[in-house]
Amino acid sequence: MSELTWLSKSHRPRLNLKNPLNAHKSDDNNVALRLEGSAKETLEQGRNRLVMAGVIFAFCFVILAGRLVGLALSGDGDTARAFPEKSNQKPVAFSDGMRAEIRDRNGVLLATTLKTASLFAEPKNVMDRQELASKLSRVLDDMSEAMILSKLSSAKNFVWLKRNLTPTQQYRINALGVPGLHFKEEEKRFYPMGALVSHLLGYTDLDNLGIAGVEKYFNGQLSGSKETAASELNLSIDVRIQHAMRDELTRHMSMFQAIGAAGLVMDVKTGEILAMVSLPDFDPNRPNDFSSDSKFNKVSLGVYEMGSTFKTFTTAMALDAGTIGLHGGYDATKPIKKAGFLIRDDHPKKRWLSVPEIYMYSSNIGTAKMAIDVGPKNHKAFLGKLGLLEKPSIELPEVGAPILPPRWNSLETMTISYGHGLSVSPLQLSAGVSAVVNGGAYINPTVIRRDPAVGIVARQVIKTKTSDTMRKLMRLVVEQGTGSKAAAKGYLVGGKTGTAEKVEGGRYKRSAVVTSFVSAFPMNDPRYVVLAVMDEPKGNAKTHGFRGAGWTAAPIVGRLVARIGPILGIAPVEEESEKVKRAMFVPINSKGKKVASF
Amino acid sequence: MKMNLTALSLLLVAGVSYGLYQLSYEVQGLEKNLAALDKNISDNRETIRILKAEWAYQNRPDVLQSLATKHLPLLLIAPYQVADLEQVPENVIALSELEPKNVPLPRKKPRRTYKPPKNKPLGSYTLATFSKAGGVQ
Repeated sequence: MSELTWLSKSHRPRLNLKNPLNAHKSDDNNVALRLEGSAKETLEQGRNRLVMAGVIFAFCFVILAGRLVGLALSGDGDTARAFPEKSNQKPVAFSDGMRAEIRDRNGVLLATTLKTASLFAEPKNVMDRQELASKLSRVLDDMSEAMILSKLSSAKNFVWLKRNLTPTQQYRINALGVPGLHFKEEEKRFYPMGALVSHLLGYTDLDNLGIAGVEKYFNGQLSGSKETAASELNLSIDVRIQHAMRDELTRHMSMFQAIGAAGLVMDVKTGEILAMVSLPDFDPNRPNDFSSDSKFNKVSLGVYEMGSTFKTFTTAMALDAGTIGLHGGYDATKPIKKAGFLIRDDHPKKRWLSVPEIYMYSSNIGTAKMAIDVGPKNHKAFLGKLGLLEKPSIELPEVGAPILPPRWNSLETMTISYGHGLSVSPLQLSAGVSAVVNGGAYINPTVIRRDPAVGIVARQVIKTKTSDTMRKLMRLVVEQGTGSKAAAKGYLVGGKTGTAEKVEGGRYKRSAVVTSFVSAFPMNDPRYVVLAVMDEPKGNAKTHGFRGAGWTAAPIVGRLVARIGPILGIAPVEEESEKVKRAMFVPINSKGKKVASF
Repeated sequence: MKMNLTALSLLLVAGVSYGLYQLSYEVQGLEKNLAALDKNISDNRETIRILKAEWAYQNRPDVLQSLATKHLPLLLIAPYQVADLEQVPENVIALSELEPKNVPLPRKKPRRTYKPPKNKPLGSYTLATFSKAGGVQ
């Protein structure tokens, strides 16, 4: 045993150095070098540190390896969280964080948001301004060369040349390959239908926030928030019917040189509005180019004295209250004088008139007497039930409140009975009439497509029997009375004319009238209420100078119903057939001799 | 033996690092691919949006009406033109009709100049038609 030993305190070999020279000589070829004292301690410490570091590294690598193996086996990690394999949620429309679309009841696009490129220039980097201006003016048709040149010549670093280019324009500008021009991506609200659905849709400002119409009312839903995604809106409007209505109104407006017109088509069973037109209208794509007058929604915001169309409510009220029957009547020989007012008839018959005759010939005297019998209190309550005395609730920010008379006594009852002294919006009138014809249930009008599965909240306001009688009376007006021009063969149109002088500065203006025709079809089972209103129509040679509702408003409805009937899937009936005649029969009972008894 | 072990571990290190680099590059490539695909999808969605808007714009009812006026001889549907299936009379075919007959031959060559009769259906209702200027006549 050849050992080099300085101190023999420890028997454990600390450091063994193999001696290659003695390896083959000795039988015990272990040659150990033993270090003791401070040198040993240092060595010991170094070794311990090495071991510790080794252990830590080994530990770390084991963890890493374990994680790697775990990931390889389970595939669990961030990827799984980022792309969930399956979700039971309904697939929602991809929104891109852009304002959602608005569609009509058939899915026709009414409003969408597009990413558009806006062109700006850095005049400093433009090499040849003159050349660029001439090139650009060829691409941008609405900008002249001089205009572009003046913009490019400005001292600024940044000049907007044109906002919201079309994709074709962007492509052509890119193809010019000129330095100094840049695009900035912007979002623009786009209304493909133009002015067609303008008032109902409303419009948005530069930041794509709705500031009118359903764009404003449903701003939260359309733009979405951090918690909820933007979801699209389905309106109850049908663009085909909307177009037919707008087309007819525009035509008749120019024919009678009216300053405005309004129209409404409403489903009497669901309260859905299928068309809502107010003329003059505007293009929501560029609302700033139109006057505030054209942005006024005459259907929901405007309130008017609707004239004789109110006789529908008065007659329904009297028949429902039972103060008079269908066979009764009133003397309409002389005008009524009351508190300095003179109530007279436009088409005086100067005799006793039965209830159907009063309605059919639109007798103010007869209707006023009818309302007096019911009494002011009941009259007010009845009109209140039909939603005519308070602001209607509809999904639009532009809703006008009716203008009620300061007090409601017998004189007011008389004038309101034939539509003067109470101003309501055309929307309220249509909703009221739809309650009168649909069996007597008031249904709140809506511009949102209703889910047929969801029940409709209806409030019974008149008896079903009264409603049935009113349909026949309205049919009578078209068949034999003032509304004969509203007839659309096969569709059993019934309605009531209304001509009211406009109020200006608290006085009635004889020269200006608002004519209206409120109707429903088919009268044997009404499905739709159609309203047409003309603002200040003038008579022409065709109407023999007359400007009354029978001449100016009724024809609109007649033409419109003939146009939209097939679209709405209403089966035409043979109007002359026995069955229909019997169903629509109403005893007119005009017995002149009864005058003697009054 | 020792040399072998060293060589083996060196080889292993080289192999593993090559594999790792390969994997890393592959991931980078895939990520690039994914970003490109995402961009492509959003571009396509944007294009679809534009096309849908364009489609709605081209199909405005007034445009369709003026095109129909120009190119189609269509009129408004008159009430007598509408019927349901039950109103169509059933065509009862007699058995004798079903038996084969001699094939009729035309007496002379069919004329090229043949024009269908011009008789229009007579109705109690005057058919309305769209005018070129818009509206119904």
